[in-house]
Amino acid sequence: MSGREVVADCLLGLAVAVVLASSVGILVMRDVYQKLHYVTPAALVAPIVVGLAILAQSGLTANTAETALALVFIVIAGPFLSHATIRAARIRETGDWRRGRATGSRDGSPGDRA
Amino acid sequence: MNGFVIATIAMLIAAVPCGIVVCRGEIMASVVAYEAISSIAVMVLVLLSEGFRRPGEFELPVLLAVLLFGSGLVFVRFLERWL
Repeated sequence: MSGREVVADCLLGLAVAVVLASSVGILVMRDVYQKLHYVTPAALVAPIVVGLAILAQSGLTANTAETALALVFIVIAGPFLSHATIRAARIRETGDWRRGRATGSRDGSPGDRA
Repeated sequence: MNGFVIATIAMLIAAVPCGIVVCRGEIMASVVAYEAISSIAVMVLVLLSEGFRRPGEFELPVLLAVLLFGSGLVFVRFLERWL
């Protein structure tokens, strides 16, 4: 087993651990907002580690470039999807994403202070 | 069986808790789990392509990543307004 393979295997193990922890976090947490925190490692950290593993295994090849392209799309899409999901959850909960859930919320919306 | 194929199997097993949330959670929690599974699916396709040394199949995860972004936004938009 060469040094490249050892590095690639270590990175793959790290990526699997991140995905497992995220997945368990999504299962264990109580509401949508808490669960959404655990999507980020699976959508941001693990793809980067997988890309590095393929880079370590194959070097700079066309495969690595296509992998990087796919992973860039995931990394860009993650924050947008998280924002859209939180917005949808908030609208379903309160009817308007700007409105606080309870009096005295920290967002400082005028409706909450009244 | 190399490290990439083993990592693929491990990632699929790691996605099982998300699958439980999709099946049994309330609807917004299911969407969150779906987003996590979609990211895992792209990684699984990348790992399979590398594990079986099939360069032609590296295009699948690229397409899936683009399509999952659009479909995720459509999902949450529908859940926000109509469902």
